[in-house]
This record gives sequence, structure tokens and C-alpha cells, in this order.
Amino acid sequence: MPELSINKIKMGGAIRNWYMAALFVLLFAANISAGVLVAPTVVFLSETNRTGRITLQNPTDVPQEVNIFFSFGLPVSDSLGNVSVILQDSVTGDPKSAMDWVKAFPRTVVLPPGGNQTVRLVIKPPDDLPDGEYWARIVVRSQDARGTVPRADDNTGISTQLNMVIQTAIMLKYRTGELISNLELTSAGARLDGNIVQVMLDMVCRGNVSYMGILHSRVLDKNNNEIGRGKINLAVYRNLRRRIDLPITIENSNPPYRVEVRITSEGRTDVPPPDMISGNEIVRTLNLE
Amino acid sequence: MGNWSIFNIRLLKLAIVTVALWAILSPLSALDFSDGTASGTVLTIITAAATQDLAFGNILQAVPKSIGYNNDASSAIFTITGEASAGINLQLILPEYVSLSDGSDRMTIIFSSTDAAVDTTTVTPSTISASDGWINQNPYYLPASAVIGSAGTTKIYLGGKIVPSVDQTPGTYSGDIVLSVSYNGS
Repeated sequence: MPELSINKIKMGGAIRNWYMAALFVLLFAANISAGVLVAPTVVFLSETNRTGRITLQNPTDVPQEVNIFFSFGLPVSDSLGNVSVILQDSVTGDPKSAMDWVKAFPRTVVLPPGGNQTVRLVIKPPDDLPDGEYWARIVVRSQDARGTVPRADDNTGISTQLNMVIQTAIMLKYRTGELISNLELTSAGARLDGNIVQVMLDMVCRGNVSYMGILHSRVLDKNNNEIGRGKINLAVYRNLRRRIDLPITIENSNPPYRVEVRITSEGRTDVPPPDMISGNEIVRTLNLE
Repeated sequence: MGNWSIFNIRLLKLAIVTVALWAILSPLSALDFSDGTASGTVLTIITAAATQDLAFGNILQAVPKSIGYNNDASSAIFTITGEASAGINLQLILPEYVSLSDGSDRMTIIFSSTDAAVDTTTVTPSTISASDGWINQNPYYLPASAVIGSAGTTKIYLGGKIVPSVDQTPGTYSGDIVLSVSYNGS
């Protein structure tokens, strides 16, 4: 065999071995950390586009049984400004609920290891809907599809098998007519608690769509030196009280401190620009209590 | 000519393997989507996985058995990945009992108001402290201010207590522990 050919084989084998090793390492890392993936994080449908889809992927090394159903749940807040989403599976009677109008195909699927599945969504809203946005949660429920069959010797002892089930809830928004995104900041305050600046904001959605944006906050000292900052994604569907805790660096800073808050609908990277409804911007400066 | 051909073949192999690796691995952090009006790439999908089951081991009749959330080997561990620092909603739906597959007997399972912890720094169940997230939490009301950790991962540790009766039927008792996750900023 010519020397060049031998070298070529050796080199090709080395490259192949290196890449295969890297592939196995990375795939192993993926398998031990990932569940069923669901994309996108928000589905937008409209009167001119009443069908959509989500993509499911099983990167694990076991088959996953996946069920898709619909629920209703908006971000709501408590008096302390903590935000939660409570899913309601039954008919809510909420005039903004779209959960009864939407269907998924298929609703149940077993995803093999590494498998993908596209789930089609079709919405049939009532004809006389007022302009605005209507909401539902798409809930993707997944668990190991292999199941558990009790062993023959199970009658000699007592044991448990707790099945770990994962539900990922993503928002579906159906839009119709003229859409307005508008947010009002009804009250705002900030106070210092040790090395944390706590900002409390009360917001009301005044548009007919949910206000989606980013809440930027900066803590400045007397000399305009920035000593803390924060940035969170914001979604306000109706009323929302939101608390933000901003760790600050007090050393070498000069009081009094103040907080600059800016809420904008620009800059969201998790929503395609055509689906963003541009809204108003709010800028407020808060002196610490 | 010969050296050039060998170089080209190597280059081609590298390109093929690189493309294959990209195709396999890229969906783990991003999934393409499209619909009738727009297309784009979602960079920050949220995912959750049960990386360890809640395991009580062998159980004796009339002898309750507890597993703390700080038990590295036996507590349940859920791993949530997503956009760093994003606010998330976590909701556990827990069984009140586990039952035999034929439904002939069941056994009480209890989750107390301090049986969970939420870890945003991804330490371990036994080493988590208050500065790593939230400890001694009620699993029925996980912290409403929970976030994805700065490294893009948050973990939930869950313990519980199983209470067999004096005449508990031998066998394997099963039940579901459901974790529901969602972003609260979208």
C-alpha cells in the first residue's frame, strides 16, 4: 500500500475517533440533563393565520410518552410582588380564554430517543370577537414511556415507584382586529434593605393585548455611578405587582441613591419581531425610601 | 495533486462530521420554528427533566420512612434549564397516596411544608444553603420569585415520607409526581 494511502487512513481514523469521542461525550451530557424540548416559548395565532405548530424533541435515551392539552393561566402577583402562574384545566369562563377554541394534532405521541414530532394547532374562535388578544396555555406533559411492571418477587416486600412527570406550559395568543399595547405604571417605590434595593412596581395593562417587554433597572449613587442593575422579561396581562431585588455594591459609593426604571417593548429576543406589538415606553426615577 | 486530493478528502470529512455534530446538538439549545407569517429561532426554550427519582428503598410494614430533600442519593431532583435569571413558575402536583397496579391496596405518602428546596447555583442536595436559593420550602407552594440560575440551570430537591400500615400488602406501589414549569415573563 502506498505510504500516502496509509497516512490518509491513519489520519482519517484519528479524526473520526476524535469526533466520535466528542460526539459521545456531548450526547451523554445532553441525555442526562435534558427532558422533552418544546419550541417555541410562545405561539401566536391570528384571524388570518388560524393554524400553527409546536415542535417537540426527545433528546433523552429513553422513549417519552407525551400528551398535549390546553389550560388557562396568566401571571398573577401577590401583595409582596411575587409572580406565579396557576394553571386551570377546567373551563374558566374568562372572556379572554381561548382554551376551548384550540385543538392539537396529535394530542398523544410516543417520542423515541432522539425523535422529533410536529404538533399542529388549529383554532376556531367565535365569529363576533371584540378586537384584542385571547389566551390559552399549551401544556406538554411527558414521562418515561417504558412504564413499570411490578416484578414477580414483589410480593415478598414493599417498595415504591414514583413516576416523574414533567409539564411544560407555553403561552398561546390569538389576536384579532386592531391591536394596542399600552402599559400604565400606577405606583412605584424603592427601598434599601442591607445590600439589596427592593423595587416595587404596580402595573396595569391598558391595551387590548398583553404588554410584553423588558424591565430595566439601575441603581445610581449621588455621583451617578451605577452600583447595581437588573433586567427581566415582563408580561402584563391585566394587573401586576412586581418586586425586583437589586444587589448593590455600597463600597466607594455616595448616598443618596436612586433607581432608574425603564420599561420598553423593545429588545425581546424570545419573540420574533413580527409577533411583537410595539408598546409605550415608561421611564421613572425613584428615590429610595 | 495527490497531496491536494488527500487534503480535500480530509477537509470534506471534517466538514461532514462538523455539520452532523451541529445538526445533532444544536436543537438542544435552539429550535427553529416557523408558521404562516414569520420564522425565526428560539434561543431560550425552557426545559425540565427529572434527573433523579424519589426513592424510598425497601419499606417495612408499620414503619414510616422519610427521605429529606438533602439526601443526595434518594431525594427527587428536577433540573430546569432556560434563560439565565428569567423568572419561572414552578408547580408541583403531588400524590396523597401510592397504590398497587391492580388498585387492591394503597399507601399514604406525605410531603411536609419543608420538604423542598430550590437551588439556583446547582450545588447538591446535601450542601445547599439559603444563599444558594430557597431551602425548607413547602413543595405545594414553591417560591413565586424563583428564577433560572445565572448559569442557566435551576434544580428542585424534593423529599417526602411514606407511611405503610401494619397490614400493608407487599408489592410495588406507584404514583405520579408532576412538575409544571413555565416562564412568567411571556
